[in-house]
Amino acid sequence: MAASFPLYLALAFYLAGTLTVLGSLTLAAPRFQRLALAFMALGFVAHTVWIGVICTKTGHPPLTNLPESVSFIAWTILAVKLALWMRYRVDAAAFFLYPLVFLLLGLSAVVQERFTPLDPELRSNIFIAHLLLTSLGVAALLVATGFTILYQIQERAIRQKTRGALWAWIPSLKACDVVSFRSLTIGFSIYTLGILAGILWSYRTSLELRTPGIKEAGAFVAWVLFAVLLQSYLSGNYRTPRNLGIAAAAFVAIIVSLLGIEHV
Amino acid sequence: MSLALVGVNHKTAPVEVRERLSVSERELGEELSVVSSMEGVDGAAILSTCNRMEIVASVQDENIVDEIVRHIARRASMEREEVERHFYLLRHGDVVRHLFRVAAGLDSMIVGEPQIAGQVRASYQTALSRGSLDPMLHKLYEQTLRVAKKIRTETGIGEHAVSVPYAALELATKIFGKLDGLQILLIGAGKMGELTAQYFQGQGLKKVFVANRAWDRAQELAGRFGGTAIHFDGLVSHLAECDIVVASTAAPHYLVKSEDVEKAMARRRRRDLFLVDLAVPRNLDPEIATIEGAYLYNIDDLREIASGNLETRMQKAEQAEKIITREADTFLGRLASQEAVPTILELQARLEEIRATELERCLRKLGPITPEQRASIEMLSSGIINKVLHYPILRLKEATSDPKPESGAAIRETIRRIFGLR
Repeated sequence: MAASFPLYLALAFYLAGTLTVLGSLTLAAPRFQRLALAFMALGFVAHTVWIGVICTKTGHPPLTNLPESVSFIAWTILAVKLALWMRYRVDAAAFFLYPLVFLLLGLSAVVQERFTPLDPELRSNIFIAHLLLTSLGVAALLVATGFTILYQIQERAIRQKTRGALWAWIPSLKACDVVSFRSLTIGFSIYTLGILAGILWSYRTSLELRTPGIKEAGAFVAWVLFAVLLQSYLSGNYRTPRNLGIAAAAFVAIIVSLLGIEHV
Repeated sequence: MSLALVGVNHKTAPVEVRERLSVSERELGEELSVVSSMEGVDGAAILSTCNRMEIVASVQDENIVDEIVRHIARRASMEREEVERHFYLLRHGDVVRHLFRVAAGLDSMIVGEPQIAGQVRASYQTALSRGSLDPMLHKLYEQTLRVAKKIRTETGIGEHAVSVPYAALELATKIFGKLDGLQILLIGAGKMGELTAQYFQGQGLKKVFVANRAWDRAQELAGRFGGTAIHFDGLVSHLAECDIVVASTAAPHYLVKSEDVEKAMARRRRRDLFLVDLAVPRNLDPEIATIEGAYLYNIDDLREIASGNLETRMQKAEQAEKIITREADTFLGRLASQEAVPTILELQARLEEIRATELERCLRKLGPITPEQRASIEMLSSGIINKVLHYPILRLKEATSDPKPESGAAIRETIRRIFGLR
């Protein structure tokens, strides 16, 4: 069996899940939601195997280059989504998160790089902590972004007394608020620690800060935007439509920073 | 053996007739015993709700239905002709389709209402516990409940509210999720407000406050909901504590102004407030709708939601009808083929018996032959039998898809006679 088989299998399941969930939206057929969830769960299993394969082959967590990082982020996002489904039976996030997971893993497959053992110079606990924390932080922040957007859509629908295509699938405002706030606080803390660990590692390896590139600039902009979003939540202004713009911009900044990853 | 159904519903009989014909839970067991013990009745079940009373029976002879109608008329102390004016009588395939439609809520007063599926299940369970179901009815009810569930899942027909109180409840769950632990403030003791509060209370609210100009009425209503009556002057101070406000007084002015809600929202912090104004003239200042975290719906908004949902339900009902037609055809086909199976098996056994006897006789006459020769003779005889059986079995199977059960029964009977089956 080729080493990449679990990757392509996961990708195929994610594609099926994404198409099914989008189909359920256009056909207004709720039963497709469960089918999509089943596809994504199967994809998750294959994806987990794929991550295990990388760990076994390289001897380190799958976070050292762009394909590995985005694959891990996609895996974490789906893990959070599945956990949320078990807790809140939230279906609407699927419309946003399944395509995102598919696109991230698709990106990982397209720019697939050879399995390379980590450069000995990079081998340090701080570096691994940096990769792990930023990846987990990004995943949590993407989930927070998704739920902030869902909150805004549903809040607008209730206020304007209209029903959009997602009305039936978006959970209550309270559930969206709780999930986005928790994901934001946890994700922001982890992401901040991850960035700090990266700065520290950069300083220790080259005795000077790296020249900021796309990755660093994107990460910084995303961090600032998430800080503004968190401040908005903490001050009780989480309902303002401005948050929709901030969440969307933070999402773009994160994607830009992911595209700039080039560790090995 | 076929299915028959006699009954009345809200479309065929007024409430005065339905109430006389209805069978209470206490009487159900006895009625089941009476109907199922009638000669020619193999099994029976009774569905009696406020909108319908129906008896489903599996009968050997369809004339027995007259006897059932006579019994119903006697029981209700009505003339048979009067009963027959309101009754409908359905046979076999129509019974299956009707029962599927009833359980899916398509024959209900409010199309798609979900309670009826539970009532059909209860009727099935009662008949099951009383031993009044034969295998055919047993299969029919199991399939009916399966089809009802399938329709709900696939079409989502019962998902949206089609009444004003239920629309308000649906909106509240869209805002708060689960309603347990929330507090409701009922302003005024109007009928619609009371009804809405009843819907909400069924969701496990923590507390109900009732404010009404007439203190006695406020206390009476609060007592009914296990809540607390509050004075009209104090209702604004309760806005900060309550999560849902339902107003339905006859007051000609706004009882809650937007400033009141603004003050309350400042004290509520991250907690939303849902306000329902069922009164005409309105009791709640429309400006409240502009306040962050406060969601105001008036009677027209809720009516619009309910009628929009009703339209959606009607579209879903069309989808459901297609599912029912498909499922009923499959079920009837399966039922008929099951009836043909014993005849086919007997026919095959009968001809195999003839073949084996004749083969033995022939082999005795032939004397010693080689195993290859014996195999050839056996193959020849089996081939003849299979050719002879081909068309009778084909006709028996074709008859299973005939919509009239009596046609299938007639073919089975003819074949049994021709081949001398028992």
